[in-house]
Formats: sequence, structure tokens, C-alpha cells
Amino acid sequence: MPPKSGHQRAKNIDYEDDDIYSDEEEYYEEGVEGDGMSEEDKQQMAAATIKVKEALGGSFKVTETQIQEALWHYYYDVGKSVSYLKNKYAPKVPAQPKQSQKPASRFDQAASAAGVGAPNGKLSSFIDSTTVCAALNLGLESCYSTPPPVHFPISYNFDRLTEDITNFFWDTPWGNVPSHRLGTIIPQTVAPKGGLLGGSKLAALAAKRKQKQQEQAAKAEEEGNDADKAVALLDRLSVKSDRPALLAPSDKAPKPAIRYQRKRSPSPQPQPQVESDEEPDLGTTRPTMEFPDLRAQPSMFATTLCSKNDSRPAGQSHQSTSFAEFALPYTSMVEFKKVDPFASPSPDDIVQEAQKRGAGRPSKPKATPKKPAGDKLAEAVDKLHVEEAPRVKSKNLNVVEEFAKSEMKRMMNFVVIGHVDHGKSTLMGRLLYDLKVIDQRSVDKLKKEAENIGKASFALAWVMDQTSEERSRGVTVDIATNNFETEQTRFTILDAPGHRDFIPNMIAGASQADFAVLVIDASTNSFESGLKGQTKEHALLVRSMGVQRLIVAVNKMDTINWSQHRFNEISTQMTTFLTTASFSPKQISFIPCAGLTGENVTHRNPDNSLLDWYTGPTLVSALDTSAPSPRPLDKPLRLTISDVFRGGITNPISITGRIDAGTLQIGDQILIMPSSEKATIKAIELDGEPVDWAVAGQIPTLHLQDIDPVHLRLGDIACAPNHPVRLIKSFTCKILAFEHVLPSSVDVFRGRLQAEGRIVRLSATLDKTSGEVLKKKPRIVRPGEVARVVVELQRELPLEVGVRIVLRERGSTVAAGLLEG
Amino acid sequence: MAALSDRRRINAPSGGTSAPVFSKALKEPGYLEELRPQRIRAPKELRKIFLQTSIIPSASGSAYLEIPNAPSSHPATLIPPTSSLKIAASVQGPKPLPRSAPFSPTLLLSTTVKFAPFATRHRRGYIRDAAERDLGVHLETALRGVIIGERWPKSGVEIVVTVLEGDEGAWWGQEGGSNGSGWGLLNVLAGCITAAGSAIIDAGIDCVDMVSGGVAAFVQDPSADGRLLVLDPSPAEHRDIIAACAVGYLHSRDEVTEVWLRGDAGLEAADSLIEGAAQAAEGSFSVMKEVFIENLEKNGNAQGLEGAGGKRKHADVEMAG
Repeated sequence: MPPKSGHQRAKNIDYEDDDIYSDEEEYYEEGVEGDGMSEEDKQQMAAATIKVKEALGGSFKVTETQIQEALWHYYYDVGKSVSYLKNKYAPKVPAQPKQSQKPASRFDQAASAAGVGAPNGKLSSFIDSTTVCAALNLGLESCYSTPPPVHFPISYNFDRLTEDITNFFWDTPWGNVPSHRLGTIIPQTVAPKGGLLGGSKLAALAAKRKQKQQEQAAKAEEEGNDADKAVALLDRLSVKSDRPALLAPSDKAPKPAIRYQRKRSPSPQPQPQVESDEEPDLGTTRPTMEFPDLRAQPSMFATTLCSKNDSRPAGQSHQSTSFAEFALPYTSMVEFKKVDPFASPSPDDIVQEAQKRGAGRPSKPKATPKKPAGDKLAEAVDKLHVEEAPRVKSKNLNVVEEFAKSEMKRMMNFVVIGHVDHGKSTLMGRLLYDLKVIDQRSVDKLKKEAENIGKASFALAWVMDQTSEERSRGVTVDIATNNFETEQTRFTILDAPGHRDFIPNMIAGASQADFAVLVIDASTNSFESGLKGQTKEHALLVRSMGVQRLIVAVNKMDTINWSQHRFNEISTQMTTFLTTASFSPKQISFIPCAGLTGENVTHRNPDNSLLDWYTGPTLVSALDTSAPSPRPLDKPLRLTISDVFRGGITNPISITGRIDAGTLQIGDQILIMPSSEKATIKAIELDGEPVDWAVAGQIPTLHLQDIDPVHLRLGDIACAPNHPVRLIKSFTCKILAFEHVLPSSVDVFRGRLQAEGRIVRLSATLDKTSGEVLKKKPRIVRPGEVARVVVELQRELPLEVGVRIVLRERGSTVAAGLLEG
Repeated sequence: MAALSDRRRINAPSGGTSAPVFSKALKEPGYLEELRPQRIRAPKELRKIFLQTSIIPSASGSAYLEIPNAPSSHPATLIPPTSSLKIAASVQGPKPLPRSAPFSPTLLLSTTVKFAPFATRHRRGYIRDAAERDLGVHLETALRGVIIGERWPKSGVEIVVTVLEGDEGAWWGQEGGSNGSGWGLLNVLAGCITAAGSAIIDAGIDCVDMVSGGVAAFVQDPSADGRLLVLDPSPAEHRDIIAACAVGYLHSRDEVTEVWLRGDAGLEAADSLIEGAAQAAEGSFSVMKEVFIENLEKNGNAQGLEGAGGKRKHADVEMAG
């Protein structure tokens, strides 16, 4: 027998059952070499070979070396060799594991038990694995369901490995092992431990051996054999393996009771009842407690909960279920092998690749339109943005319908015009007083105050003129508004200042009026001075502002004893003048009255016989008969702001103004021009009463939000955001000249709006009635002529075709006209 | 009542749902008593324990403890005669404390014991009630004695114990309800200590010893001069429990980290009661030890490591800050 390395011998002891394969290989190779064979051996071998050949017969194809090898193995026993060879080389007969000749000693058994289970980290364990692996390849039954997890980076031939295992690490240094020589040992979690695999011979063998061991151990204990006891202890020392072959075959076998020693005596008192049922330990005072096996089988719930890594063997029936044992379906089919699903890039890869390419490319420059000169485009872009939802909820009323439904009284605004000190305010005060809008007490109070400063006759005027400046000067400065109602109509009085210094305010008032009341002082010289002064100018202005109806209140008739003659004289003079100012005579009515006494204002005094000659209406009934101007409800909203004020904490910003066209309601958004800012209508007040909506012709107070007060100026136009007023810088207009008009700088008035501009061109003079062109490009427009001029403004204004403007120069009205475009 | 103030969930009726009691129990006076379970174990004999570690993969350590109930002797009733104990414990951590927390030189231990709503016959709420908080404090004292907290400064560990089925305080047929006396809580505490102690070891947290819980009780017994010491009493099996004691016991050191004594025991009797509870704890320790040795073998063989140095999954916790 050739000498073996010590290591291999040890291995043989460990794995008598398993490593027949590697042994054979070794014998084979060394047999060929023939090293170490004596002459005697060779002779024996030759003779035996011939015998074996004869025994096998010619049909059996076995080489001579194989025969010799078998003979060597069986110590030249011809019979055994023949049977071995027949077994081995007969078709489909697997090699039988060689049984060891001599019975295994107790030590061997113990060592094998320990060796199989104990992972001892030495080189031998690697070899164990490889041999086990080889055994697997041979198709031997194995307890491993997965190959041992030893992976070498370089694929070594296992044969060579077993051949010169000692040389395997010959070039490996002790330290700094090169990385390519390093292996990875992947710890593999053990598969759930089942019982033994059903028909395994090996398992049956192992079980048998275990049983035998137990029996022997029991016997040894009984006999008290020292040596065997030691071996039995060795058995016990062996680390429990989870290889099924070495597990207890049945869990029904009662586990030995566990003894636990208490280190100290628990208490001074002996506890007989605790230790009563166990034998007292000899030679020690430590009490020992004994518990029967306390481990319970898991309940159904626990089995479900812990089944994944159940460490306890659940009996023979529990089959090991490892996924490695179940092959994937169809893997053996040709189609499966042909298909290579991972050859092409995965969908994810494709997407990522595309994204990478996309990221690499320089981003396309955004097409930004070049900004053309001029602000109009920017303005237009500003207007483009989406309308924000207003915070105030709109009731979404159909205001036109609501207005029709409301059957509201006619609403009329009239402006009271006239020369200064002709008694406009007093007349209006009287009217309000007589209509019980103002109570007696406040009038008395005003009278008292007026007497205190020696202006008793101004008491009624103070009803309208409320600021201290107006009262002390005795003239109206700004437009005062007040309301009163008759049976048919609601009137808004716009009391315009008569003084020439406040013409702009008068224009603002007149622009809001439906008709005008011209107050004329009937007393001597006053009328004449008025005619030269503001009576004439006011009349022309209101006419040019579009007012068609005019009521001429001939005031202060009491001072001339209600002289019919004087009244007629004034009437004729005024009619001639007003007809020249293109008032229709039908639209003019003359009413004699006395504001201070109240005669013929609201009612006639039957005691006053001096007025018997007059059969016409009173002032109020004359107002009532006035037909209101049409309301352009369907047109887009236009509201000229006549006042901006702070209405209190709840209404931080409010505006008033006449609605020229259109309607509005709470929650509407309005666009303020020329600032192009938007605001939301929070509330609407009309004559001090909160309302939900307002229509053209009314003069509401709008409480706004979402806007800064700097964007609101007098004369600005509030309009509907979707139909904004265009801002224009130059326009053509048809004017009626009051003075000589030359191309020069003028102030342009439109209601409250006031801007500096310049008449750049006189286009033509026109016929007053037909509108035909009389003369193109005149050098000058004379007073009373109608002309078409082009006006250029210094800043842009919200003006539209059809608005009425007034041109003034150095404090006097030059012309008034209609914007044409 | 915790259940009443819980308005976040739709709670079941607080009374709980019980298996039906058949009319025979009401008609025949003696019949109900027949159903009463009797202790068939020896006074020193413990109930069997099932223990399993590493049941929760996401936790750093976990354990499941079960004391299965005795098989029903009477097929005539649907209600199991005795209750069983099912406890799941998980250990989260050790993990670094949040930055907002003040500095702590030792491991901060926080324990939460929660009964599942269905754990007992009397239905529990979703919010921890006083008994559960009390058990949590008891458990914390039991565990604080074993953990070597100095090795984890600035870190905390959370131990969450869920009682899936708790021992009832008394037999269901007894007057005064099954939860009245609350003797079952001692068993629950002992189970919690064993389960949480196993989970701590499973998490690989350094401990001075293994802690296990055990219960002993004095019960009324006419045969043995009035009272009898029994280990691991199942409250349903004893008509009258005089005193009971649950301990957290360290086997190797022979030390007690937690004692919960209930009832009127007397001075000397209390000593023997504690001693008995320690013995019971030793019984559960034997199961723990066996389970862990088995785990070690399994892991050792699987990993091919020498001696299988134990499961120290999170032995090195990276400390931030």
C-alpha cells in the first residue's frame, strides 16, 4: 500500500463513507506509476490479472490497469476484484460505497460524529467540502441540499486539488495575500431543517448508528467501564449538528431532564418541599432543581408565526423544502436555453440612456420675443394675465334685469349752474328744506350760525355749502351733492360753483348731469353782469358737455316784485342766447321763483297775488317733467372717478363717480385707467344706502379692495377689465369755439380729468347744423364757430370716441367739443 | 377609561365578545362547576413554554413566547378552560438618541407593554391603560438590571412587548368576572420578562446575565394546612389565590432584578414565595438556554464558523455626532 499523507489518513477516518471517490483516484494514478511495488507484488499482480480476465470473459471490456487497480485494492483477491469490476463497469450499476473492513471503534464513531458536525476551520474542512461536492457529483445521496459555499476565484481542478493539496498554498505568502488568491466564503443560511430524506440509505445508516451509540452509551453507563464512559462523554461533547443524519430520529424520544445548579443556598431555611422529589446531590450542598423538558411544541398560531425559521424539528413528516430542490419549470426545454432575455438592454436601461443623452445636449434657448419699442405691448402683456378670482364673492346678478325688475323711480342728476351770487345754493337749500329733506331744526341752527357772522341770508345756502371755507367766503367752491325725491323721480343735485375760479369743478359737476338748472338773478344789473360772466359760460359748457335740457330758474323775483316785464325780458334775452348755443327752444323752460322765500319753488303761495300772471309749473314740477337721458346699460362699464376718499377702517378706499355706461355689482373687478390697476368692488353705496348693484346714470360710492390708493386719481376711468378704455395721446375732436382758437397749448378737461395738451392742427371749420366742411385748414377758429382740431396730449389719457371735452386756456374756456377719434 | 377617550378609531364595544355560554350552565347549578379546570400539574411543575427568537426580521432582536393552554377537557363548552399566554417582544436599537435629547452617559431603556385589544376576554383599548403602563414600568426595572448600559452612551433602545393573549385573572365562570382580581397580570409580567430578555440577547446587547421571569403563588388548599405554594399558577385553575409573586431572576448570578408581590403573604411566607418564583424563573431560563444553544449551533454550522461566536448583529453601532 502506498504511503499516504497524514492528512489524508485523517480524512479517511473522518469520511469512510464519503470519500471513496478521491481515494480511488489516488490509487488509480499511483497504480499506473507503479511506484513502491516490490517484485513479488508485480508477479502476484500479473498472475491475478490473468485470472481476473478469464473470470470476466471477453465480453467485459475492462482495461488491464483497471483490473490491476482493483486487485491492488483487494489484496490480489481475485473473486472480490471480479465482483467489484462487474459491479463497477457493468452498465447502470453505480459504484457501491466501500465498507470499512474492520468494525469502527467507539473512538472512531465519536470522532466521525464530531468531525462531520464540527466546523473546525482547518484546511481539512475545505477538503471535506470538496470531497462532499465530488460525492454529490457522483450522485451519491447527500444531506446537503445546496453545494457547500466555497467559491474559488480561480477555477481549480478538484482532482488536482486533491492530488497535491499540500502544494495548493505553496506560493501564498503568510501575510498580504494577493487579492486574486483570496476566496470569498459566503455564509449560507441553513435550509429549514426537516426530517431525514425519505429513502436515504445514508440517513438510515446514521440513524441506526446513533441508536447503537445510545444503546452502547447506556450499556457503558451500566457497566461503569471507565474507558467507554470517556468515549460516551466524547460523544456528548460533540457539537450538535443540524445535519439530519445526526439528528435524533424521532422527537418522541424523551429528553433527559435538565439539571440546574443553584449557586447559593437561596435562604437559610431548608426547603424540603422544593427538593422533595429529587435525590440529594452527593458531596455538595448546592441545591439542584430539576425540570422536566419544559419546551412546548408550538401551537398552531406559533407555527404559522415562526414557520419560516422554525428551529425545532417537527418530526419525520416534515419535509425539507428548499427552493433548490424544485427546479424551475421549462428550464430543460430547448426554447428556454435559446432565449437570452438579458442580451438586449432592459427597458429601464433604454430610458436611462435616453435621459443621459438628453441631459448632455445643451438646452434649447427659449424663444423670447424681442421687446419692441413702446409700452403698448408691455401694457397688452400686462392685460394678458389670467384674472384672479376675486375674494369678494359676486352674486352674479344680471344687473340689467334687476334694474328692470326693481321698477325704480326715475333717477336724474341735475347740475345747478349760474353766475356767482345768483342764489344757486340758496335755491337748492330752500328746495331741500321745503321738500323736508332738511328738518327745521338744522335749518334753525344754520340760521343762527349765519346770523352770528352777519350773513343771515346765507343760511339756506349753507345746507349745500358745508365746508368752513365755503361758508366764510360765502361762495360754493366744490360740487356739493344732495338728494331728494319727488313722487316720480329721485334727484341728485349737483350744486356747481358759480365763481369763475372754480370752473373746473363746475365742469366736473356738469359732466355728471342729465340736465341743468340755470339760476339767474332777476334783479337789475345782476342778470346783465351774469350774462357777461358765468351765466353764459356755464350755459355753453353744459351744452358742450351734452346737456340738452335746461331749466332756467329766474331767481330773486321777490326783489323786483315779481315783475312780469322783467321776467319776459330775461326770457327773451336768454332764449336768443341759448338758441345760439345750440339749445333747442323746446328744451328750455323759464320759471320765476324766489329762493329766499321759497315762492314757486315747490309750491305757489296762494296769497301772493303778484304772481297771478304766471300759470306755469313750479320749479320742482318742472324738474319732474324733464325726460331722463337714456341709460347705456348694455355698454361696457365706464365710471369717471370724481372723488377718492378713505371711508373708514372697514372701507379703506372708496371712490365716487357717475356711471357713464354699463352696470356694476358687488364682487366685480374694475380696471382703473390710466394706471391699469385692478380693484374689486367690496361694497356699493347709493345715497348712503348699501346696494348690490348700480347702473349707468347713478352716482354710487364704491368701496374697493386689492388696490393701492396711489393708483386712483380724480378723473380716472374705472372700466370693465375685459373692455378697457384705450389710452390715447392724440385725438381729433369737433369743437365749438368760445374764444378764438389758435394752435396753442390748452388744458384738456374731461369731467374731473385734467391734462395739459396742445392743439396741433386746425383741420377744418364745419357747418354748425349740417356738419359739412366749410373751410379746410383754417388759420383761426372764431368764437361760435364749429371746427375740427387735432389735440396732442402730454400724457396718455383714457379717452374714448364720444366723450365730451372742454379746452381751456389760462383760466377761460376756449372751446368745448366731442371727441371723434 | 382609556377606551372612552380614544376617539381616533372606531372602537369595538368595550365589553368584548365572548363565546356563548350554553343554557345548561344556567339551568343546572352544579354543571358550571364541572367545567372549572383543575390543576393537574404537580405544585412545582411548570407549564410548557414555547420560545422562538428572531421572529421579526426588521427588529434588531425579537422573541416570541407562548404558554399553550391545556387541551379542553370538556367538549361541552366553547370557551377554553384556561387561558394561554402569547407574547411577542421586539428590541429596536440600540440607536443614537435624537439630537434634541439631553446627553445620557448610559443606554436609555424604554419599555412598552401593550395588550392587543383581543388579548383578554375583557376587550382592551388601543391606548395603553394604567395596567399596561404599570407592567411597562415593572418590565423596565427587570431589564435595567441586566443591560450594561455604560457601553452605549448617548443611545437608546426601545423594547416593545405585545401581549397577543394574556392570562386571565380568574376562571371565566367565576363570579365577579374573569379580570377582576388581576392575578393574570403577574403571569403576563413573567412572560414579558422572559420574552424581552430573550429579545435583548437576540439583539446582541451586552448583558451581565440572562433574565427570566417566573411566578409563584400561595393558593387556598384545604388539604395542605390552608395554603399551598404552587409554581406558575394558572389563575383559572385556582379558586382562591392568597398571594402571588413575579420575579425577574438572573440565573448565573442568582440575583433578582424585579419583584412584584401581590396579596397578603406574611413576612416568612413572602420569602418562600419569592424563592418559589425564582425557581419558576429558573424553569423558563432552562428553555431560554436551550433555545439559544440551539440557535448557536444552527448559526455556527450554517456559517462554518468556529464555535459560532454568537449573534452580534448590531454589536457595533455607528454613533453619529
